[in-house]
Amino acid sequence: MKSKLVLLSIVFSLIFTNSIFADQKHLVGADADYGEHLFGECVTCHNSTGLGQGIPKITGMKTNQFITKILAYKSKEKENAVMQMVAERLGEEEINSLALYLSKLK
Amino acid sequence: MTKIKRRTFVGLAAATTTALSMPSIAFGALPRVVVIGGGAGGATAAKYIAKDSKGAIDVTLVEASKRYYTCFFSNLYLGDFRAYSSIGHNYYGLAVNHGVNMVHEWALSVNNAAKKVNLGSGESISYDKLVISPGIDLKFESVNGYSAEAQSKMPHAWKSGTQVQLLKNQVKGMKKGGTFVMVPPPNPYRCPPGPYERVSMIAHQFKKSNPTAKIVILDPKNKFSKQGLFMEGWQKHYPGMIEWISAETHGGIKKINAETMEFETDLDTFKADAASVVPAQRAGRIAMNAGVNKGDWCPIVPGSMQAQADENIYVLGDASIAKSMPKSGFSANSQAKVAANHIRGSLTGSKVFTPRFANTCWSLVATNDGIKVGANYKATAEKIDKTSGFISKTGEDSNLRKATYEESIGWYSGITSDMFS
Repeated sequence: MKSKLVLLSIVFSLIFTNSIFADQKHLVGADADYGEHLFGECVTCHNSTGLGQGIPKITGMKTNQFITKILAYKSKEKENAVMQMVAERLGEEEINSLALYLSKLK
Repeated sequence: MTKIKRRTFVGLAAATTTALSMPSIAFGALPRVVVIGGGAGGATAAKYIAKDSKGAIDVTLVEASKRYYTCFFSNLYLGDFRAYSSIGHNYYGLAVNHGVNMVHEWALSVNNAAKKVNLGSGESISYDKLVISPGIDLKFESVNGYSAEAQSKMPHAWKSGTQVQLLKNQVKGMKKGGTFVMVPPPNPYRCPPGPYERVSMIAHQFKKSNPTAKIVILDPKNKFSKQGLFMEGWQKHYPGMIEWISAETHGGIKKINAETMEFETDLDTFKADAASVVPAQRAGRIAMNAGVNKGDWCPIVPGSMQAQADENIYVLGDASIAKSMPKSGFSANSQAKVAANHIRGSLTGSKVFTPRFANTCWSLVATNDGIKVGANYKATAEKIDKTSGFISKTGEDSNLRKATYEESIGWYSGITSDMFS
């Protein structure tokens, strides 16, 4: 758990220093199939085809933007009880896999 | 809904009818999954198995209705926050986008040994894996005096559809200053906050057009979901209108009379001008027929949603014993994805990921006053265990409550798109 937190803090700091995550090669442990599977949890609420009324669309979101938001929910810096709960159990592998999968969506 | 009607096939694919009797010839060596029930569990499972297997698994969804009205958000229709048409959905998306074979029939029985589902038409469908997601049946007899006949006088409206329309008409037509009696079900039941959201929506109607009306809740329980939040909201929005009477206060509902609209308890006999009675529940009958139940509900393997009684059958949603998850559309949708992943893995050898379960239930108390409760779960050997959760707080800012309501609208759009398109 501790090592994961260390890794996450590294990920977090990298986002603010450059846009390295726009480059998929740096998504450590990312697996697009796993990302697709995890994405199933997102689309219970995030309509992949609609206008995003009440809940924002996440398809088309840039990789670093996605990671920044998830980490902000995880640290509870960003408000929303559902998203804080979702982010709480996403580790680095899950976040990066989701980011990779999202980047492949149109 | 006890009478079995013969239904016709939707005719999306001419091959479907032929395939029913000769699956192995029509579909070659493709493994076949049959899903019974096209709600939040079944529709989601059918879609994800078909979508993710990319044609490697033949998926047939057996659902009697061609148009499915969701139970979730039917309360918002009662409160005039949604049009009835907006909670109705069809299955064209599953058929056209994902190649799911739609069979609009009743599933009558399951032959576990032969791995076949027998349909109302007399046809049968073979399966390699069967998903049963039939929702609930109502135990009318659980409330003394209630019956299938009495449901027109005191609608349960607990399976959406025309019962909800009937209830809404009765609420709107209730005499001025009259009394509405609500009898919620005992645990466990579909949608724990549902009866109390229903009361909120009926109060919302009365506030507009019948402000001296009263609502009496004769509860068979001594506490209920989101109790503090609902009670705070009722006091704020509908002061003096709603009286909740717990089981220990009224001593139990001894008898009801749908003709005289009377409810007899130890405390008093209550006379209603309109009423809704939601009796105790059990897993849909097909689950009993398949022998995967233990009493009223179906024990499952927490990591896969397989029935404990038959490894080739998966039970999803309300029909399953998925402790600690509540019986909700969100839970069923979450469980369906776990089962779909497991089924695909067992039939095609694809990777099976660690199961992840989640649930969130939104309720509307009044205009722009939404509340929510949610939790994450993980599978243990014994149960689906809650790992973390949240609930709205009393005294929350009105902007947050409005955002919560808007979030629920987004969720409805999301989950119905996830289920049906």
